[in-house]
Amino acid sequence: MTERISLADRVFLNIALVLVIINGLFPASWLMITSFKRDAELTRRPITYFPEHLTFDNYVQVFTKNPFDLFLRNSLIVSVSATIICVLFAALAGYALGRLRLPGRRIIMTGIVMTSMFPALVLLVPLYRLFSGVNIPWLSGLWFFPDVVSTPNLLNTYWALIIPYVALSLPIATLILTSFFQLIPKDLESAATVDGATRVGALFRVIMPLSAPGIVTASIIVFVNSWNEFLLALTFNTSLNMRTVPVGITFYQGEFAFPWAIISAAVTLGIIPLVVLIIFFQRRIISGLTAGGVKG
Amino acid sequence: MIKTPYKKPGFWQRLRTGNLTEAQLAVLLLLPALLTLAVVMLYPVLNVLWQSLHFERLNQPFRGTPFIGLENFQKILWGQNMTWSFTHLPLARIIGLLTLIPAWLMMKRSLIDRRSALLWTFSIIIIFGVLMGFMPGEGGRWGDARFWNAFNVTLLIIAVSVTGSFMLGLPLALLANVKTRLKWLVRLALLLPWAMPRVFTGLTFAWLFQSDYGVINDLLGRVGLNRVFLQVLPASVVSDYGILWLAREVPAIIAENIAIIWKSSSFVGLILLAGLQSIDKSLYEAALVDGANAWQRFWRITLPLLRPAIAVALIFRTLTAIQAFDIPFAMTNGGPGRALETLGLYIYKTANGLNIGYAAGLSVALFILSLSITVLYLRWIYTDD
Repeated sequence: MTERISLADRVFLNIALVLVIINGLFPASWLMITSFKRDAELTRRPITYFPEHLTFDNYVQVFTKNPFDLFLRNSLIVSVSATIICVLFAALAGYALGRLRLPGRRIIMTGIVMTSMFPALVLLVPLYRLFSGVNIPWLSGLWFFPDVVSTPNLLNTYWALIIPYVALSLPIATLILTSFFQLIPKDLESAATVDGATRVGALFRVIMPLSAPGIVTASIIVFVNSWNEFLLALTFNTSLNMRTVPVGITFYQGEFAFPWAIISAAVTLGIIPLVVLIIFFQRRIISGLTAGGVKG
Repeated sequence: MIKTPYKKPGFWQRLRTGNLTEAQLAVLLLLPALLTLAVVMLYPVLNVLWQSLHFERLNQPFRGTPFIGLENFQKILWGQNMTWSFTHLPLARIIGLLTLIPAWLMMKRSLIDRRSALLWTFSIIIIFGVLMGFMPGEGGRWGDARFWNAFNVTLLIIAVSVTGSFMLGLPLALLANVKTRLKWLVRLALLLPWAMPRVFTGLTFAWLFQSDYGVINDLLGRVGLNRVFLQVLPASVVSDYGILWLAREVPAIIAENIAIIWKSSSFVGLILLAGLQSIDKSLYEAALVDGANAWQRFWRITLPLLRPAIAVALIFRTLTAIQAFDIPFAMTNGGPGRALETLGLYIYKTANGLNIGYAAGLSVALFILSLSITVLYLRWIYTDD
């Protein structure tokens, strides 16, 4: 561009940028400031903008009032396994959709995109029933099955969350990986097959390493989606020891009391992994979200 | 020498020898993904449809799960005892139905000229709704009042938060595209709301909007607005320390919408950012040569070329707004009282109250709502080009 930017415009632009930064970062930063304040300081007017006495007591209480380390562990286990499974399935599907000749490819693609428009809320009731164990009448009574056959009770296990999280993020992960796989030149793959690799071997040895950025992108998005999910986690895993971080945090508030200092410390702890991810993978996340979005 | 006739290798033989055709391999590779989607998405939707036709309360197992047909939906629409009757206010209804006919014809016409199909479809739905509901029969009520309240709250959230997130998201996208040294910080500010769990957003804004010690009331007080509010606003929504944000109905819906807009503007901004980056830069240079100013370039180039991205963002925003659950849950839990319950909260509370059958009916209602909105949008997008 050859247009000169006048001084007034530049000032205006910088003010706008500062506003954007404040808008995005202020709520979380305010919570972080709150988490370092003492309880007495929170209920005092005029409110203070910087903690008078820095205290880490709230962070200690986060772990002592509830098993927050367990929440973190649960969230981590669920999100990481959901991410691995989802990206694996999505890579296989993306390879089939992006690089193989398949009649009806477009219809399948549209179908997968359509499922991402399903409201997850509608899944709440039927999935609850499914995971609490359903009888399968057409299998029961066959000679090799002794009695009534039913699916296992998955409530209050990791699987009750992993399975729906995989499915909920599968459409966007498939979209991202399909569009990444399509970018890789055909020659590389045929070279590998000539060298004696099978097609699936070529997928894992040639295509997946080459589209590592795509895989990272998809993984981050699936991870963030799973880490943030609330409704299903709230409903399916009700025992204290199986709660994830977002669900666990809502249980710090009592019937009437809102221990804001502790809650804000817990929220800060829950956000930190996400902030780290964002800072390191900004460009990947943006490209991934946009690839999924604009094509869909 | 015996000639064996050539036999095409079957699927299993090809699988054993690693010699599948491309289509066979593709189906095999698609299988895990499609199976997962079938089990977790397709089966539950069919199941919930089936279940919505049944009575089931988990806390009253002795009543069994009898098939009750459409009774759940009747309860949603017209209440427990159906008192709606056509003979009540017949003239008004007949006139209303007659107005539907030209509206219907206009819609069919508009499908041909493909301009205002969306508008007509919406107006027909509204007229039909008015006919069926707002003129109930003798002693009739508007069905399940709690459902319709939730319905209205949800529609309000959709209308306000979708518009708001675009008004905030578009400038965010435009500014994220600007070259500065602070680009990484701008992008962090753009991405953080997207990455933050919705519950956390709700909790954060509940604390920001806290009426006695919240930072928003404090800032408003410092500017001197709290004194103005005391004069201007009704006494029930203000205290000496500012507006009672979460304790009163109207301020609470404003606060919730602000939180939802803050959270979702980031997603809208990201989608629009992608749209911006895909616009050919040479168009702007050509426009510059022709002497177009920044405003004209925005209206004549940026906005028209951004349309696909806007459409995508609009669809996904609306679909998530229909399901508004986390942020209202964290901020007021549908309060004050039940005044601000969204459909999501109502379904959750019904299911939590172990009235599974009715919750299934409500879910189906929500599903129909979101499906119809999706179809309308898709039709609007695909017919307008």
